[in-house]
Amino acid sequence: MKRQIPLIIVITLGFMFVAHTFIPHKASVAFYDWWVSWSKAISPFAVILGIMSLTMVHGTKISRKAPNWQYSALTLFALVFTGASGFIWGTSEGTPFMWLFKNVQMPMGSTMFSLLAFHIASAAYKAFRARSAEATVLLIAAIIVMLGQVPLGMAISKWIPETSSWILNVPNLAAKRGIALGVGLGMTATSLKILLGIERTYLGGGD
Amino acid sequence: MFETISNLIAAFLTLCIFSFLYKDNPFYKFAEALFIGVSMGYAIPLVYENAFLPFVYQPIFLQGKLIILIPSLMGVLYIFRFSRNLSWLSRYPIVFGMGIVGMGVPMSMHSSVLVQMRSAMLPLDNINTALIFIGTVTILLYFFFSKEHKGVYGKFTNVGVWYMMIGFGASFGYTVMARISLLIGRIQFLLGDVLGLIK
Amino acid sequence: MSNIVPFFEKMQALDRRYIYLVVALAIIIPLLIPFNSKTYVTEPTANVYKMIDSYAGRSDRAILLSFSHDASTMAELTPMEVAILRHCFQRKVKVFTLCFMPAASPLMDYALNIAKEDYDVQDGIDYCNFGYKPYGLFLPILLGMGDDIAEIVETDAQGRKISNLPIMTDITNYNEMNLVVDFAASSAVYSWIVYARARYGVNVAAGITAVMAADNYPYLQTGQLVGMLSGLKGAAEYEKLVDVFATHKNPDGTIGRSYSKEILQESWIKLSDVDKRVYKTARIGMNAQTVAHVMIIVFIILGNIGFFLSKKKKEQEMM
Repeated sequence: MKRQIPLIIVITLGFMFVAHTFIPHKASVAFYDWWVSWSKAISPFAVILGIMSLTMVHGTKISRKAPNWQYSALTLFALVFTGASGFIWGTSEGTPFMWLFKNVQMPMGSTMFSLLAFHIASAAYKAFRARSAEATVLLIAAIIVMLGQVPLGMAISKWIPETSSWILNVPNLAAKRGIALGVGLGMTATSLKILLGIERTYLGGGD
Repeated sequence: MFETISNLIAAFLTLCIFSFLYKDNPFYKFAEALFIGVSMGYAIPLVYENAFLPFVYQPIFLQGKLIILIPSLMGVLYIFRFSRNLSWLSRYPIVFGMGIVGMGVPMSMHSSVLVQMRSAMLPLDNINTALIFIGTVTILLYFFFSKEHKGVYGKFTNVGVWYMMIGFGASFGYTVMARISLLIGRIQFLLGDVLGLIK
Repeated sequence: MSNIVPFFEKMQALDRRYIYLVVALAIIIPLLIPFNSKTYVTEPTANVYKMIDSYAGRSDRAILLSFSHDASTMAELTPMEVAILRHCFQRKVKVFTLCFMPAASPLMDYALNIAKEDYDVQDGIDYCNFGYKPYGLFLPILLGMGDDIAEIVETDAQGRKISNLPIMTDITNYNEMNLVVDFAASSAVYSWIVYARARYGVNVAAGITAVMAADNYPYLQTGQLVGMLSGLKGAAEYEKLVDVFATHKNPDGTIGRSYSKEILQESWIKLSDVDKRVYKTARIGMNAQTVAHVMIIVFIILGNIGFFLSKKKKEQEMM
């Protein structure tokens, strides 16, 4: 029963949504409005999952005094402090909450990903090898696109940005369309499997 | 003055993250831990203000729509996700949202498959359209794994591989660009906003 | 030859930290010593510009900017957002902003604050920030806006009832808010294509990180995407378009002129003529991008020379 009732809900709602997509009847609109108002009321609670999972992981590290547990304490402190600052002083421009975003979260978030620039450069030097004809084609296409994107490409010859644009609009388009069609069919199949109760991993473990 | 101090703190944290390039170190670990906590922490008041107040508190307590208590209680069931015995309760808020997958079937079939196929079947009146057509068909053949890629069939699928290599090359070129852009953004911050060296 | 091979072998084993140093210098130096370079405007970017410009001054047209990214990709996407917002403010195009992830919420304020500084625009009249809505409401809102925007979105970022705001006069649903530009580092834009475009025919454009750009070409060809800004280059192109057309000072003292391919090809904007750095961030960045791309290409070539030389040496030793 613990699995069956949720499954029945998904299947019933799913088929009602299929019907709603095709039938613009008053009842179908009413169903949709009901679903939206309930979804809205459920939505804020999803944030609990994130908070709980973070608290549990780091709480366990602290209580077990695992190596580097001090950093976990810092994470939890930052979590509580940031959350509290939003409740106490508000979340608009000029509040401590916004200050934390602009001077702590934003610079670190953007720097984390910028590290990848170094890694890709190192990989370009150490790993991108023209080992086969296919790999050579890949590298040549990449080099043309790279040059085509920057002003230097245009300065060398107008053919560089034009070739780059042709690569993107013709062979690349065909490749991505072939892959997208496969993915699109796959997604439709997965959705159908959920709808028919064949795919159930979203229910999680247990009985 | 306040602006300068704020910028310096942001710059210090930026450098803490960059220090990872040399090797893992306490500065990096400090910044990473702080980042995770702040990121999660600041979602809470935002969700409270933008979702809890307008969609739960106001309808129930100000407008007296008591029926909204049912989905709200359903939302509370998320708490049991990590419980060993009661985790099944958390399935209810999840499946309620899953229902919309029913709309996804016809809609994604239309946009991701049918419209794409229609454009792949344009009259082959110029070389590029013909090339796109050949590429799309040969790639689809390549992904057809029930038949061994040998002989004439193998030649066709091989054409598909070449198309894909060009496609991956284009993606790779763009990826290099993207990663470099992110680094440029950070260095612009350090040189421009903090040190005032970019005019 | 005998000298070259050991040299390249040594180079192959080079500590990665030296490579990192070269990368840093390749970006720092061009940023410190700026030079003017020509930004080549591509069609997908120009199409977004033209469509937004066609709404200029109309009270029954608006655009929606959907922010689907966090701070990690700000370097690529924020300059696009600022450029498009500037375009809207300059040409009096009604603009809404909306996001479904908490991390994007301050980014909307950030972009709006930069863009509105030089313009006499008012929240609720010329633009409106719908604010952050939980992700669970992504599809309901995306579909609901096809019927009635004010009803489904309800409140803006400041908690005001949207239906009471002056900006909503003449704006009901996607028939009026006829263009959605989604800024993302993910495939979020596909949801707009699959649901909003397919069902209500709204025009969808993407402001996307370069990583995702190549995947979107099939959608550009079908018209499911009316246009696309790809990465920092797309942002630089849009900045240029705004400078060449929207903020152009005409001889008669008026500001702004219509898009024209011929004017675009001939025009040359000197970076030093643009006073504010935030209006040329992407173009300054593209200078460094040029040097960095050349560096990566040189790395690939050097790496491959080393690879082939040592392969040849091994083959000779085998014989």
